[in-house]
Amino acid sequence: MVVANPIYFIAIPLLAAFLLPLLGKLYKPLIRFVPGIIFAFFVYISVVLLLQVQNGEPVITLIAGWEAPWGINLVFSPFSGFIVTLINVLAFLIWLYSYKFKKVVYDDALKYFILLMLIVAGTSGIVLTGDIFNMFVFLEITAISSYSLTAFYRGRDGAEAAFKFLLIGAFASTLILLAILILYTQVGTLNIAEIAARMSTVDPTMKAVILILFFVGFGIEAEMFPMNGWVPDAYSQAPAPVAAVFASMVAKAGIYALVRVIYMMFDLEGAYNLLLIMGVITMVVAEVVAMRQENLRRMLAFSSIGQMGLIMLAFSFHTYAGVFAGIFLMFNHAVIKSLLFLSTGYLVYHSKTKKISGLDGFAKKMPFVALMFGLGAFAIVGLPPFSGFWSKLYLLMAAADDNMIMLIALVLSVSVIEIVYYFKVMSRLYFRKAHTDIPVQKPNLNGIIAMSVLGILVVAVGVYPDLITHFIETAANALMDKTEYINNVLPGITELVN
Amino acid sequence: MQEFLTIGIYGTAIFLVLLGIYAVIVKKNLIKIVIGLSIMDSGIHLLFVAIGYISGGTAPIFSPMALESGQKMVDPVPQALVLTAIVIGLGVTAVALALVIRLYKHHNTINIDEIKNLKW
Repeated sequence: MVVANPIYFIAIPLLAAFLLPLLGKLYKPLIRFVPGIIFAFFVYISVVLLLQVQNGEPVITLIAGWEAPWGINLVFSPFSGFIVTLINVLAFLIWLYSYKFKKVVYDDALKYFILLMLIVAGTSGIVLTGDIFNMFVFLEITAISSYSLTAFYRGRDGAEAAFKFLLIGAFASTLILLAILILYTQVGTLNIAEIAARMSTVDPTMKAVILILFFVGFGIEAEMFPMNGWVPDAYSQAPAPVAAVFASMVAKAGIYALVRVIYMMFDLEGAYNLLLIMGVITMVVAEVVAMRQENLRRMLAFSSIGQMGLIMLAFSFHTYAGVFAGIFLMFNHAVIKSLLFLSTGYLVYHSKTKKISGLDGFAKKMPFVALMFGLGAFAIVGLPPFSGFWSKLYLLMAAADDNMIMLIALVLSVSVIEIVYYFKVMSRLYFRKAHTDIPVQKPNLNGIIAMSVLGILVVAVGVYPDLITHFIETAANALMDKTEYINNVLPGITELVN
Repeated sequence: MQEFLTIGIYGTAIFLVLLGIYAVIVKKNLIKIVIGLSIMDSGIHLLFVAIGYISGGTAPIFSPMALESGQKMVDPVPQALVLTAIVIGLGVTAVALALVIRLYKHHNTINIDEIKNLKW
């Protein structure tokens, strides 16, 4: 029995990432095995920890023996634990899918696996940390690895996409740094729990300034509307498994950071209204643009932005039902978008332009991959009996609780747009005559297993949502109950402040 | 004198940030854009150190002697943060320059207007 400790999620991949070149010198296939073994171990300990925290009591680790708020602490609460488990399960599946990635070119494979582990360390760090500056550091680890992975292929326009991403990302990190600076001058601490406890003493104008800075900064990772220019380029230029990593881990960590900051520190009514407005704009603009895309990966990228808008919308209700729907949507988006990106990797493997029109009749050539894509498409538009149906239903129910009829109408009409462009692809896959000249990339066994697991997850959660709703319930409780978080992390701080 | 210094430092910091933003937005040369990012970071770093300063404080080294003398110390936390932020800024600049090299090899130019295979 391993003693599970949240620090493993950060320390082990960081260490292993830098040991990987040495291990590769010893025995080349090690660079492929080691990440898989680590991710499998993480899936195991994250599930153990998640079951342990189901009673609502978070697992808290102090780093370097300094007590919080002086030292940095990691908080594995039901909410952060759920997201970490999600990240690690998907990291394992994406590793499985890309096990034979760049089989011939050793150097490229080495870079890929190093950066993959750094992204996992960074995103887990963002989610687990209880210190706002530490969150910034992990955000930068994630961002720098993401820039490098975007520019992975020399032949494509990856460098251009990556530079664009870097410009926006560097601007975002400056804003977050500035926000942390102003926050520090106001409350004199960097610990999230202590900030939350002391936030009531801060002047509302100052609060609004800090909030806007955080909003723009984290909004870039979370693919919020005016700042998401990097998304379609990065998703379409990066390798297929990396696009899945962006959708399932980087964007999830971004939205987590945003939600965490807003729910913990800023209990302003305006914050939720801002999130609502940004969510609606993000969703509507992205879905309308997605319909006009001819490149399949760009279409999926815009659809991903639209889903992120939906998630922001769910969190903006600030009710238990809304948070529940939001976390469910996060789960679904991570699983389904990964499935779509992974199957798309095979569908457009030999196509240089990645055009949707090049997909005619592919269902006959590669029935399994087309079936998986279809499963993902049905699930993401929210058709029963797939998992996407439940999250959308919970979102609409949460909106109905708040009497937001217009919003329900909007979400439903956006779903219709989604159906239009996903089914356009589906009809080309299944009902068109096949081009004979396009070669077909046979999926390898690892890829088939990884996609099947995701597909089974989509159907299983769709048929039997109780599999995960229990975890989401405790996660939603943990996010809503701010005082309990503060008392768990820093006992006695509330009396000290007041 | 003290007031003049305060205004000078804060003014410089804000000026640096604005200068950096100007360079990033207006300049067409990729290298100049990277320099602009770097200047913007420097401005924020200066702001950090300035905020941590307490007038008349010494270096924040905890020792019995410092306790006895009862002298004020400057806030050590912003200085620790700034060190981390400098390292991160270095990393970002390095990646940015590597990307500029890659872009130059791919397009044979570092003018941002001529690099637009993707929609900017």
